Amino acid sequence: MSSAYLDYAASAPRRDDVYAAMEPWLHGVVGNPSGAHGESRRAARALEEARDEVAELVGSPPGAVVFTGGGTESCHLAIAGVTREAVRRTGRAHVVVSAIEHHAVLDSAYALAAQSETVRVAQSPVGADGVVDADVLAGLLEASTALVSVMTANNETGVVEPIAQLAARVHQESAAVFHTDAVAAAPWLDLRTATAGADLVSLCAHKLGGPVNSGALVLRRPVDLMAVSAGGGQERGRRGGTVDVAAAVGLAAALRVHDRERQQVTDRVRGLRDRLERAVAALPGCQVTAAGVERLAGTAHLTFASLAADELVFLLDQAGVCASAGAACSSGASAVSHVLVAMGMDPARAGGSVRLTLGFATTPAEVDQAVAALGGAVHRLRAG
Amino acid sequence: MRVLVAMSGGVDSSVAAALLRDQGHDVVGATLKLWGGAGDSGCCSVADVEDARRVAQVLGIEHHVFAYTEEFRARVVEPYVRAHAEGRTPNPCIDCNRFVKFDLLAERARRLGFDALATGHYARIVTRHGATALGRGVDAAKDQSYVLAYLKSAMLDFLVLPIGEMRKSQVRARAAAAGLRTWDKPDSQDVCFIESASGRAGFLGGRLTMTPATVVDRDSGSVLGQVDAAELVTVGQRRHVPSPDGARRYVTRVDVAGRRVEVSPLAGALRTRVELVPGSLSAVGEPLGDGPVWVQVSAHARPQAGRLRLQGNGVVELAVPIRPVAPGQTVVFYHDDAPDIVAGAALVASP
Repeated sequence: MSSAYLDYAASAPRRDDVYAAMEPWLHGVVGNPSGAHGESRRAARALEEARDEVAELVGSPPGAVVFTGGGTESCHLAIAGVTREAVRRTGRAHVVVSAIEHHAVLDSAYALAAQSETVRVAQSPVGADGVVDADVLAGLLEASTALVSVMTANNETGVVEPIAQLAARVHQESAAVFHTDAVAAAPWLDLRTATAGADLVSLCAHKLGGPVNSGALVLRRPVDLMAVSAGGGQERGRRGGTVDVAAAVGLAAALRVHDRERQQVTDRVRGLRDRLERAVAALPGCQVTAAGVERLAGTAHLTFASLAADELVFLLDQAGVCASAGAACSSGASAVSHVLVAMGMDPARAGGSVRLTLGFATTPAEVDQAVAALGGAVHRLRAG
Repeated sequence: MRVLVAMSGGVDSSVAAALLRDQGHDVVGATLKLWGGAGDSGCCSVADVEDARRVAQVLGIEHHVFAYTEEFRARVVEPYVRAHAEGRTPNPCIDCNRFVKFDLLAERARRLGFDALATGHYARIVTRHGATALGRGVDAAKDQSYVLAYLKSAMLDFLVLPIGEMRKSQVRARAAAAGLRTWDKPDSQDVCFIESASGRAGFLGGRLTMTPATVVDRDSGSVLGQVDAAELVTVGQRRHVPSPDGARRYVTRVDVAGRRVEVSPLAGALRTRVELVPGSLSAVGEPLGDGPVWVQVSAHARPQAGRLRLQGNGVVELAVPIRPVAPGQTVVFYHDDAPDIVAGAALVASP
């Protein structure tokens, strides 16, 4: 049985063109970019070219990119870096996050608050459609608000947030730094416009077909960040440790390929996604999440009233369809998603959620296989 | 046969899966994620899931993780907390088996097309008078028939207990021979959702307002001292009972609302009757009637000869007096003529 891979939002297939770009930096002598000889200069040049390319593709001035070990670390650098710097300068920090942020953001913020009474965290609610409202967000701002973090698009539902509008409002009413986690959005949106106005943008490579453990924090304007890992002074003192040239080159290549193919891939995949949603919408109890608002073209988030996500995902797996119940979690278990809870979804419905995420290499046959498997699973579970 | 094996990440369920695979069955492993909070003694940490997953990889079987955190909270943890607030002492492992593993998981296994559900419990599936019944495990020191005693014949028909015929030492040897990393993992001892560092007091203290109580000698009525938390006092306990005269006393009654703990020296505490919660009697197969039974009042207590009387609320009479059994605990009955086969179970009522 051939498998249908519909879990791009967990990790996209590794792209040959991205790995071809990384190839020179994966074998043999690769100089440490911090060194003082020819091989180091060669590596440093590739690294800095990658840095400028990432900045350009996000619409940021050249150079203002910190390479990290992935999206989670990038979010942590933004949250902890800004918050700790604010505490150092003013003795306190108030942080506002949206309720639907990835745990990379939520856990980072709440860990800081748990460590010190000088840090407080406020959560911005979202509407039933999963969208953050600018008035609601602005209402949470305080004089000591150091950071606001709202993701560019949600990793579970695919709902796109109005970052330009939210960032403009926050900047108008406060001195807070605006961070956006663009990890989920990056494979689909033009980050120049989708993250416009954000001061800090988090990215990772593997959702784009690049390597895992490769990410970046892009600084649109100078922001003081306290280093989260000291030692060595690399990345202008904001992330100590030898920089992985191949990983940086891979991220730049993945963004470049995406930028070139974005329109064509998005149009094609949206067609497949819509076809999938139309086909399964007729299944008993099925509802497409946030169908009425702008969503990423590859995300089909479905809920089935009174069914259990674990059972749906199990039966899809038996039928060769790779899907997830929501975000991937370390234990592999699914819990009722905080994103769906924040959207006010009935727990009996939220418990029966399945996320199918399509991507650049998804075929019509894979979609057909998923539709057939989902139909079989739902009928089996409804019958039992 | 297609079998779903509940794999906790411990050695017993690892070997259960290995045995079934070796018998040629189509085996799929599943680990239940039961508790989202901290808990370091038990069954559902990420490390345990990883152990189970690694064992499945070594055995070459599929492994899945099923989340039952909401159900576990609602059906096991909350009743556990509520019972303590009312001065009862429940057995959460029994509730987990009864309401999560052999209710929800078994139903799920059927829906997903499995022919059987297997676990690594030390108990055996046997036949009595033509019906499926539950027998004690061969390893008397490890026998877990007590915690499975509420399972009925229809559930037992669907259940496979591959290690019930084995001794623990054989199970460990088998795991080691198969190269399973769980071979020397210590047995879980305590309630899985309670951290050993903070214990039951820490767990309940975060969820209940504790009630100070006066400790009174049941016979003389004299006040012996105070306890900070009546919720943490268990009927039958001897440790931590205030004793100005140094005499050993046992808790005979906990009245949380009345802020009163009654204690008695052993002679006065011993009893030959255990009152049952009305309607709580569960029979494995044919209904239980009045008559002689073997009675076991805790997971590893020595079975006592007794007699079940169902008039009124139901009561067990014992031939030999025993220390008082805490309300909320389960008494398990074994057949008079087959002391290794479970007849049924019931909850102990408040005195």
